[in-house]
Amino acid sequence: MTFNDRIFGVLLIVLAVAYGWAASQFPVPFGGGEAVGPDTFPKLLAVVLAISSLYLIVRPDPDNAWPWSRTGVELIVAVVVLILYAMLLQPLGFIISTTLAVGTLCWRMGAPPVKAYVTGAVAGVIVYFLFSYGLDLALPLGLLSFLEVN
Amino acid sequence: METLGFLMDGFGVALQPHNLMFALMGAFLGTLIGALPGLGPANGVAILIPLAFSLGLAPETALIMLTSVYAGAMYGGRISSILLNIPGDEPAMMTCLDGYPMAQKGKAAEALAISAIASFIGSLVATVGLILLAPLLAKFALTFGPAEYFALFMLAFATLGGITGKNPVKTVVAACLGLMIATVGIDNTGVQRYTFGVLELFEGVDFIIAIVGLFAISELLFFIEERAGGGKENMKVNKLALSWREIRDILPTSLRGGVLGFIAGVLPGAGASLGSFISYTLEKKVVGKKGHFGQGDPRGVAAPEAGNNGASSGALVPMLTLGVPGSGTTAVLLALLISLNITPGPLMFTQNADIVWGVIAALLIGNFLLLLLNIPLVGIFVKLLSIPPMYLLPVVTMVAFVGIYSISNTTFDLYFMVAFGVGGYILRKLEIPLVPVILGLLLGPEMEKNLRHAMEISDGDWMILWDSGLAIGLWVFAGVGLILPYLLGPLLRRRMQKPIEKGTPESD
Repeated sequence: MTFNDRIFGVLLIVLAVAYGWAASQFPVPFGGGEAVGPDTFPKLLAVVLAISSLYLIVRPDPDNAWPWSRTGVELIVAVVVLILYAMLLQPLGFIISTTLAVGTLCWRMGAPPVKAYVTGAVAGVIVYFLFSYGLDLALPLGLLSFLEVN
Repeated sequence: METLGFLMDGFGVALQPHNLMFALMGAFLGTLIGALPGLGPANGVAILIPLAFSLGLAPETALIMLTSVYAGAMYGGRISSILLNIPGDEPAMMTCLDGYPMAQKGKAAEALAISAIASFIGSLVATVGLILLAPLLAKFALTFGPAEYFALFMLAFATLGGITGKNPVKTVVAACLGLMIATVGIDNTGVQRYTFGVLELFEGVDFIIAIVGLFAISELLFFIEERAGGGKENMKVNKLALSWREIRDILPTSLRGGVLGFIAGVLPGAGASLGSFISYTLEKKVVGKKGHFGQGDPRGVAAPEAGNNGASSGALVPMLTLGVPGSGTTAVLLALLISLNITPGPLMFTQNADIVWGVIAALLIGNFLLLLLNIPLVGIFVKLLSIPPMYLLPVVTMVAFVGIYSISNTTFDLYFMVAFGVGGYILRKLEIPLVPVILGLLLGPEMEKNLRHAMEISDGDWMILWDSGLAIGLWVFAGVGLILPYLLGPLLRRRMQKPIEKGTPESD
């Protein structure tokens, strides 16, 4: 099967055209046009990318299988966990969000749940103290800020 | 003799207590990174860069630490090759050939010690080569004009896939993607490009975020897909019994391997994998029927290790003198230089002489430290092999998060990193190499600047790009570098293939 490269090639051509078109819309810099304006280099790139994607469409490599079914779901779970981790880092604080994120990832990768979340908590606490006392960097405490010693 | 003076100054920098401490820490961390499953050298150095920033290290200290990490990771990669027959990274593949049979015969400790000594000699030979060659090359590179630099960048991209690379067109695609990301932001004529009015994009995409995302996050996703969460069984290593005669036997092998590796490292497109391959093959030819290669010959362990470490020091030559890295890990080191506001290239040897020579001296010192660390502490590193990736990778991901967060304390950067991770996963699935993407990100601005300068000189005549003999030479070399993999690639790949079924690690 050689769908991957073909589909990707088509997407890349779309990207190249959009990118090149956007470059042609750049305003002319103050002081008039030069030999190499802001649009020259992007236009070059668009052309090179378009040509190489055409090649991908014409002569694609054999496919690697995509992980559908369960593994695919696991991957999506992992990405969602990472996004939530980023989102909750400040509101929940570093230690709690790390416990949840690292714990969930370990668990989904096959660790027993209790061990997984303990790993997350220990890692979170260690890194927190390393950063705030060792390196003098403030990581957010979030919900645990009542513990803060002034 | 001028060089010797500089080198002495370099030792002055590298031997300062805090620099020495960070070199030791880097060497230790590097060996850890090399030994741990699922953490290649490029990946490991990338994760540590933001931490070096948040520590607020001086440029030379940061560079010394991460160069030691780089050297250490090359040492660490061999441990799993020898004990488990699983190469930690691509260049360590050849070490499996004789290292694993030695371990099976109950001589694991000897194999590890021999590989440490061979690595040491290989690096030493190559570092001496670096000291001799780099200043010459830097002086030569001063004659480069903008057109030559533009051609040189093309050469770097063309040869990055390496002679063993699979599909050159995919390298081109990857380079284009990287260069395109590099154009995001306000360019130096003051025009906003591809910012979509998003404030965070005005300054462009921070390549550190991109690198950490592409390497660390995509690695996590790959491990989840392969369901390789469990650990390896606990390994036992016998007591070391290495005689002086055995060490003497591998000395010539290591010297040859170091020289060959250095040459492979300096040449664009060859890299550490080829370095270890060539030195193993040559050693087999030299020793002939007297050896028992493939069944646990110590020289079969020494040759690829010396070659591999020689190549990794050799790869620093183009990175330091021309600002053009030849491998994934040196690209990451280049990222560090650029973010420290040091312009890599020939001028660095005059403007930042203390840094360059400090790093070179640190490489020499680092090698001694590594040898001292590796022989007695190998037991600890061996234990690390049995840490299951299902605990390790989430923690590494967390360290990546902390590092990126600590650069600017914004959540936006974290989303960006995750996005790059998902993108990196998709690209790897499509067998599009990541290193050219990173190189594009790093070299994009310089490349455009040189193109602009060249055009200003020639008043808009594109012919200037291939006007001088040197530029033509570089273009020809670039063309050959792009086409050669088509002709030689399948042949070399087949010869380097091992009976091990293993996903190819991303970079050397």
